[in-house]
Amino acid sequence: MAKQEATRKWKYGVNRWIALAIIIAGVIAAGMYPPLRPYISLPAEHLTDTLFYFPLTGEKFFLTNTMVAVLIADVFLIALALFVIRPALKSGKQVFKGIVGVVEALVEVIYNLTAGTAGKWTKTIVPIFATITFLVLTVNWMELIPGVDSIGVINEISLEHAHHVNPDLHVETDCDIDPLFTIGNTNVVSIGGQPDCAAAIAPFVRAAATDLNFTLGLAFVSFMAIQIIGVRAQGLRYFEKFINIRALGKPGMGKIDFIVGIFEIVSEFSKIISFSFRLFGNIFAGMILLLVIGTLIPVAAQTGVLMLEFAVGLIQALVFGMLTMIFMAQATQSHHGDEEHH
Amino acid sequence: MEAEAAKMIGAGIAMIGAMGAGLGVGLAALGGVQGIARNPDAAGTIQTSMILGIVFTEAIAIYCLVVAMLILFI
Repeated sequence: MAKQEATRKWKYGVNRWIALAIIIAGVIAAGMYPPLRPYISLPAEHLTDTLFYFPLTGEKFFLTNTMVAVLIADVFLIALALFVIRPALKSGKQVFKGIVGVVEALVEVIYNLTAGTAGKWTKTIVPIFATITFLVLTVNWMELIPGVDSIGVINEISLEHAHHVNPDLHVETDCDIDPLFTIGNTNVVSIGGQPDCAAAIAPFVRAAATDLNFTLGLAFVSFMAIQIIGVRAQGLRYFEKFINIRALGKPGMGKIDFIVGIFEIVSEFSKIISFSFRLFGNIFAGMILLLVIGTLIPVAAQTGVLMLEFAVGLIQALVFGMLTMIFMAQATQSHHGDEEHH
Repeated sequence: MEAEAAKMIGAGIAMIGAMGAGLGVGLAALGGVQGIARNPDAAGTIQTSMILGIVFTEAIAIYCLVVAMLILFI
């Protein structure tokens, strides 16, 4: 017992000095390599030329930096599940420490939330809820790693666009940024170098939720999951919520029920938009905030924003999954309550 | 440069919508806190639905933000 306490005290002492060393290193680095005003581009930057054309539509396929982020998150999650979580579960321990404990706590929150809402469909809904939450969480928290969003190659497309939008802006071609290092004949640069220059760079990795394609795709997946579980639970009667032909035959309020069904269709599709724009807006705003604060006050001030983004990333991941879960649970319940009571 | 100025003003006007969302979030928190004060045992349930309501309300502000950013950066 006494020995344990001693190790703990020693550890805290070391951490304190490491934090101080990092702060001093940050001050020196910000002095030597002052950050520039970033040029923010809304679409994800292309990292490669056209890789191939899609067979039917003939659309070009590029590797963008947000795709790289999603692939890294996928690899990380699969490796975590196979090489950390599974051995920990097999070891038969009752109490887990470290990352396994964090995952366990999150899964418990997810399971309890679902069990409180979905009833007998809990076992079907939990995997989808958990998958969405863990993927979005990993992708959101990648934004907090230094170098994500800020280290990359000079982006010619953004440069031209920047000149086009604002001819007064100074960009790299005018002011020659010193590269961090060079691979082949490509200069790898970072947001930093010379003041009064906008850095139109294509970062190697960019937080995936800052690309509307990712959030729209995820929203479409959760939309399809809602429809599929609705059909599984109620069969074709699920669609009566939308096109209520039987209500037309009823006297009185029947026609109003039919019109309400049409509004249900609109609200069903507006779910895709609200899902995707909520996540996109939060994370894109966070990215801009991090870049701008980092440019204005390069030392220390970003820490507060990082803490805010840590919370926002967690909450948005949970909310995306939770809303999917709630809509799925709603889809399993019949909307014709008054008929079923008879 | 006039177009640039109009863009900036437009983005500013787009963010007026955040006023309503701010009011809404405040009202949701008010309701949640009052509910918890009256019935502290139900704090967990109230908190969950309060956060859900806040997130829905906040989404409106986020739409304004997205519109403002689309105006500024495209």
